Amino acid sequence: MAEASQLFKEFKIQSVSEFFRRNAAMLGYTGKIRSLTTVVHEAVTNSLDACEEAGIPPYIRVEIEELGREHYKVIVEDNGPGIPEKYITHVFGKMLAGTKAHRNIQSRGQQGIGISGAVMFAQITSGKATRVITSTGGDKTIEAWVKIDVDKNEGKIVKKEKHPNPKGWRGTRIELEVKNVRYIRSKQGVYWYLKLTAIANPHAHIELIEPDGKLIVFPRSSDYIPEPPVEMKPHPRGVLTDDVYRMAKKTRRNTVKRFLVGEFSRISDKKIDELIEYIAALRLIKTEEDKNVQEQLYERLMKGEVKAVLRSFRGYTKVVKQVAKIMEKPPEKLTWHEAEEIVEAFKYMKFLAPPTHGLRPIGEENIEKGLKGILKPEFVTAVTRSPKVYSGGIPFQVEVGLAYGGEIPGGFELLRYANRVPLLFDAGSCVTTLAARSIDWKRYKVDDLDRAPVVLMINVISVHVPYTGTGKQSIANVEEIQNEIRLAIMDAARRLQTYLSGKHRKLYQVKRKKTFEKYVPEIARALSVLTGEEEDAVKSYFLAFIESRFAAKEGELNEVSENA
Amino acid sequence: MPKSKVVKREKPRERFSYDPTRVLTKLEEYGRRVLEDIKAGKNPYFDIPMRGLNNVYFDEKRRVIRMGDKLSRRYFLNVAHARKFMQTLLIMAYVKRLVSEGKHASLREAYYANKHTIPGTKENTFEDQRESDPIIEDLERMLGVLREEMHLTADRRGYIYGDIVIRDGEDEFNTSKLGMGGWAVPGTVEHLQFVEVNVDYALVVETAAMADRLIEEKFPKKENALIIATQGQASRGVRRLIHRLHYEEGLPIIVFTDGDPYGWYIYSTIKQGSINLAYLSDKLATPEAKFVGMTMDDIKRYGLENVTEKLKGIPPNKKGGPTGDYKRILEEMEYPWFQNKEWQRQLKMAVKMGVRIEQQALANKSLEFVAKKYLPEKINNGELLP
Repeated sequence: MAEASQLFKEFKIQSVSEFFRRNAAMLGYTGKIRSLTTVVHEAVTNSLDACEEAGIPPYIRVEIEELGREHYKVIVEDNGPGIPEKYITHVFGKMLAGTKAHRNIQSRGQQGIGISGAVMFAQITSGKATRVITSTGGDKTIEAWVKIDVDKNEGKIVKKEKHPNPKGWRGTRIELEVKNVRYIRSKQGVYWYLKLTAIANPHAHIELIEPDGKLIVFPRSSDYIPEPPVEMKPHPRGVLTDDVYRMAKKTRRNTVKRFLVGEFSRISDKKIDELIEYIAALRLIKTEEDKNVQEQLYERLMKGEVKAVLRSFRGYTKVVKQVAKIMEKPPEKLTWHEAEEIVEAFKYMKFLAPPTHGLRPIGEENIEKGLKGILKPEFVTAVTRSPKVYSGGIPFQVEVGLAYGGEIPGGFELLRYANRVPLLFDAGSCVTTLAARSIDWKRYKVDDLDRAPVVLMINVISVHVPYTGTGKQSIANVEEIQNEIRLAIMDAARRLQTYLSGKHRKLYQVKRKKTFEKYVPEIARALSVLTGEEEDAVKSYFLAFIESRFAAKEGELNEVSENA
Repeated sequence: MPKSKVVKREKPRERFSYDPTRVLTKLEEYGRRVLEDIKAGKNPYFDIPMRGLNNVYFDEKRRVIRMGDKLSRRYFLNVAHARKFMQTLLIMAYVKRLVSEGKHASLREAYYANKHTIPGTKENTFEDQRESDPIIEDLERMLGVLREEMHLTADRRGYIYGDIVIRDGEDEFNTSKLGMGGWAVPGTVEHLQFVEVNVDYALVVETAAMADRLIEEKFPKKENALIIATQGQASRGVRRLIHRLHYEEGLPIIVFTDGDPYGWYIYSTIKQGSINLAYLSDKLATPEAKFVGMTMDDIKRYGLENVTEKLKGIPPNKKGGPTGDYKRILEEMEYPWFQNKEWQRQLKMAVKMGVRIEQQALANKSLEFVAKKYLPEKINNGELLP
């Protein structure tokens, strides 16, 4: 039998880079094509977020340079606010650090690994530092080469230079050298990713220079810069025990009661009194030995009969008083068990729906602009539903855009987004795909969806999007979300139907008109023989007659549709 | 025994009236109306008397089938009409050229002459003759003008033999001097003129075999009759010829058909006109025509019982009946012009006996029997059915 000391010889603290290497898939670095897309995604997302927060219309340029076999340089440059010198190491060097991860806020990325992950990826594939050039618009630009100290999980500036900035340039340019990746114009590639990003962010001007030097521009189609999302306090129905426990440790409030009222939404002083009763009731129910009786009591509690439940126990006031004491103690003294009790009670209580002011939909107008600008369809419509709640307390919102015809090629295309971020993988299991496929498109005059020139975009917004896996590329099939998506699609599809039936009517009119026109030369020749009138003159009489009749008819049609 | 002639020529009641300019005037008039409509921004149309049973009635007074006054309006600006409107004008223009150039064309020629692909489409002006023939019929009804007057002819059928002189364009001939085959009746007889008519009546014969028999037996010469062979249902040319001979030359018309529903129907068409061509009854029908045979009475009278044939189909008193010949006979019994004692008796007898009798059955007696005994006896004794 081996000694413990023997076994522990192999024990090492895993470094961040080691963790990263092992869990690359979780962060999106899997596959040669996807890895490159992920690098671009992290940089572009940062740029968009920065511009939004600063109220600047984004101008983003992505350049992919081929340096060798599966060896590229990725350059992303923006006109954002720039990065102050002292934050450069934090932004690029430290994982799990950022401005958002610790806040309850809708965000493009979620864990704050983003760009530092990209820096790390560059470093472990090419060994090169990431070059950052940035200026906040002052008289200096900073050029820095950033690496990550994988053991300490810290950013390290390898080299730094300052340059004069005579033209007052402001923005950030980063250059990452990556290996083991490949550039292909596929549906998982950079091109497609940027195209989808451009559609969902019509306020951004995005350019791409491909390895062969080809410049692709996705121009800005909207002047409106979306407001940055605001932080929302968590809703009691959407939290886990761990959330409550950890928040209690960090809070500056001095009692549990003040902590709950102050740091959650929809909790008032009155709700705390209710909470105490519910916790007490739950404690008492747990003392009941008869399982059937217990079950009934839970049911009554669910119905809100908390007072009646309490009264059915002798000496219940004592328990209530005990629970009330929890509310008065300092939050850092809150035990795990107590946090558990609070969260359990939350499940039985009724709360107002969570606030939704933190959700930032793209908006119908901007979706339409985005689809129109990039896809050049003949018809476009968008639906932004009002916010809803899933799992009892997590607010979410669904919006869809529908584009038809024009330069769109045949074949149905579904563009999926979560918080405006394009989802490129795992389409099959995504709730958006399921919802889109569950629609009976024939009802909306789309007879063969798989051949129709239809692009459907779906954006699911939430402070907490329920992804199916760590790859964050597919949204779980949550019933409430699927219903909302379906309703939104059907709403948009109805408008498409109206458009298509109008179009068919018009086509029918054109066809009718042609039916008459094709006979005119024959008629003219015959009438000319019969009457001696000039053939061309007869022809023009007939054509003018047809023209006037159809002009009149069209007028009628328009009136009808306006009245309808 | 001196022959007291029952059948005699009468005084003419119509005059030869062929006038090609009338057709041209009508065509131009209709064309001009369309042109005026279109110039005035109105949807041009043609009013065409409707065809079919719904627009046909029996004129008791004149005893012919006539067309009612129901019209169908054919518009240019109507998806369902436009093509036919175009076709109508095409044929009108074609007819104008034919008539003014003095040329004739068959229905088939008219179809091919006007069939072509419409420029810029894959559509033909006429897809087949079933499209052009009805347009020509429409024009007849619309203009009140015979197809023959529009110089459009059908296949010829039927011939005549007898002592009459006909002028056909530059040719003049006696139809009893053209050999045993007689003179074939052309598709259009409008332009024919009867220079001399030296016969007392016209005998219209259903089958060519019987007509040939009569000519061989010199029946026309002996009886001073004109033989008109219809060869089945009488063609328009033959019917028009019968009409003209009766009304312009006063010739009595006597019809000789098989004793069966088909033969009686041939007679009915010559006499009252047909549903299809009801609009032409005034020019084609000859209500004064009479029927000589075969009748059901002939069977008994001439002892022809063993040369009859069974009627086809199921009799009315049997299960599933009446069908076939029986059904047709019962239908004919309902015709207004068969509503008289003699015909009802004949038709009822046929149903009862369940037999039919052909003209040729008379050959059972002898080849000469029909020419020497049967016809002279019946005709001269006036034993004719109305």
